[in-house]
Amino acid sequence: MSLIEAKGLRKVFRQAVKEPGLRGAVKHLFTQRYVDKHAVDGIDLTIREGETVAYVGPNGAGKSTTIKMLSGVLVPTSGELRVDGFVPHKQRMENAVRIGAVFGQRTQLWWDIPVRESLNLLKDIYQVPEDAFRRNLDAFVELLGMEEFIHLSARKLSLGQRMRADLAAALLHDPKIVYLDEPTIGLDVSVKQKIRSFIKQMNRDKGTTLLLTTHDLGDIEDLCERLVIIDHGRIIYDGSLQAVKDAFARERTIHLQLGSELAEPSLLFSDLPEVGMDRTGPYRLAIRFDRFRITASEIVKRIISQADVADFHIDEPNIESIIRRVYEGSLDLELAAESPVAASREA
Amino acid sequence: MTRTTLSVRNTPRRILFLYRRLFGQQLKAILEYSSDFYVMIGAAAFTQIVGFLFLWVVFSRIPVIQGWGFWEVAFMYAMIYFSEGVGSLFFEGTWRMLRLVNMGELDRYLVRPMPIVLQIFCTGIGMNGIGNIAIGGAIIGMSLYHVDIDWSITSVLSALVVLASALAVRIGINLAANCSAFWIRTSGNAFPIMVHNMGEFAKYPITIYSLGLQLFLALGVPFAFVSFVPAAVLFGKEDWAAYGWLSPLAAAYVFGIALLLLRIGLRRYESSGN
Repeated sequence: MSLIEAKGLRKVFRQAVKEPGLRGAVKHLFTQRYVDKHAVDGIDLTIREGETVAYVGPNGAGKSTTIKMLSGVLVPTSGELRVDGFVPHKQRMENAVRIGAVFGQRTQLWWDIPVRESLNLLKDIYQVPEDAFRRNLDAFVELLGMEEFIHLSARKLSLGQRMRADLAAALLHDPKIVYLDEPTIGLDVSVKQKIRSFIKQMNRDKGTTLLLTTHDLGDIEDLCERLVIIDHGRIIYDGSLQAVKDAFARERTIHLQLGSELAEPSLLFSDLPEVGMDRTGPYRLAIRFDRFRITASEIVKRIISQADVADFHIDEPNIESIIRRVYEGSLDLELAAESPVAASREA
Repeated sequence: MTRTTLSVRNTPRRILFLYRRLFGQQLKAILEYSSDFYVMIGAAAFTQIVGFLFLWVVFSRIPVIQGWGFWEVAFMYAMIYFSEGVGSLFFEGTWRMLRLVNMGELDRYLVRPMPIVLQIFCTGIGMNGIGNIAIGGAIIGMSLYHVDIDWSITSVLSALVVLASALAVRIGINLAANCSAFWIRTSGNAFPIMVHNMGEFAKYPITIYSLGLQLFLALGVPFAFVSFVPAAVLFGKEDWAAYGWLSPLAAAYVFGIALLLLRIGLRRYESSGN
């Protein structure tokens, strides 16, 4: 059963257009002009229970706006949205007990009171039964290593500590769905690891559904099976992480260490203009190519015809460069749309 | 580990319980920062001294108007003062709405399963309210002592209803006025402060004003129910005491409008970019 169902979800913000300077300000008093900013521009999204979804895109693509609509903070301009059967902004309370949210930049904790007291307050707000509260609190304190700072007030915590406390606060009431907006931003590696393994365990043990926005590709590779890419308020890719790798990972780079200079480098790939050749040092070459157009062995064969090859290795692109190229529009999305998206929709 | 299913039922008892919990934690936080606490005590003491000087000035300024005696007017004056104190001590959060809206801090409130209004009320504690409550309360006590009132069970009960309604009207006006935060983003608290200052009119019997202004203070921004109507009921002013029956209605009316504005405002709420 799908837990989150969005159809044609849209959010339009009205922004005032102001001309610069005092004249502009005075003018604005009398004639107000606005432009519509389509932050989320008609997205369809279905998430089943227990799924782990990475929701990525460049800054301003509409990630946070989507999450804020799903969590009942923002009212959609149009479209349909149901989370576990409830319309978040209309049935705000029903929605609120089912979700946990961490908005990376902003804490859910009370600034001036100790973390332990904050968690106690949340227990009363969410009406968490005593035994469930004890059980969760003990588990969280251990898994997230909170012993050292649970007696401090939120304002005294470091970023990493605060993020861990926020995560505990968001999961204390055993929500079905957790929205994490940039949960590891600015954290060091060891804290990132703690947070990731904690989230993984929640998903595994309790079947908590996860929707995560992040710029950290480690988060995506570590936590998520499904990847949704949004840009300019529209979903431009929705499928498994593996499928995007397969579909887009056509590009390979071959690094060569030569024993002698190339005789006539310009003639090497004159028939294949898309092959890129960079000199990375004396007797060193890096050649980028599309593996469906030319094979690695063909490239090596051509090089050997002009020079000695001492050594070579082939690089596969990492997920980071793939996603970056999707944003930049330099990867062919039609190709991806044919296979992985269709496959995942049918599933 | 297993998942527990939670329910959401916000009974009045639960709301009261959560208000006490949230208010209590805030208070504890203030008391724990001991340096802040001493500053606060010092400020409160200073406020008291200023307050008594103020009291003296007040008494020298209160006139006897159109059949209203000195202590009767003092009572109205004090009700405005006292209700302001209750507003800041227990419902200070209404005055922080501008910040909540502009900084996107309402996000946090909107994902929690409890009423937004309750969370707004509990956003802060205005300790300065203590001074207003003390001085206002003192003047109210003195005026009740000086005016000859025919106390009976019914008069005590009606006094309680009218006074509770008066406070509710005041809090409701604060809330409604501060909902302007959803529409007016850049001019600070100017609008709610303007509404707040209309309370000045109600420090005197509203009968001294033109009919238009009277209607405005009774129906528009009904400060009349904060001071004038309670005075009429308590002091048995026959022409006006009947309006006391409308007091709970006025409170419901103001709160209804405030909650409606909050609802409409929340639809417009845009959070803030990251």
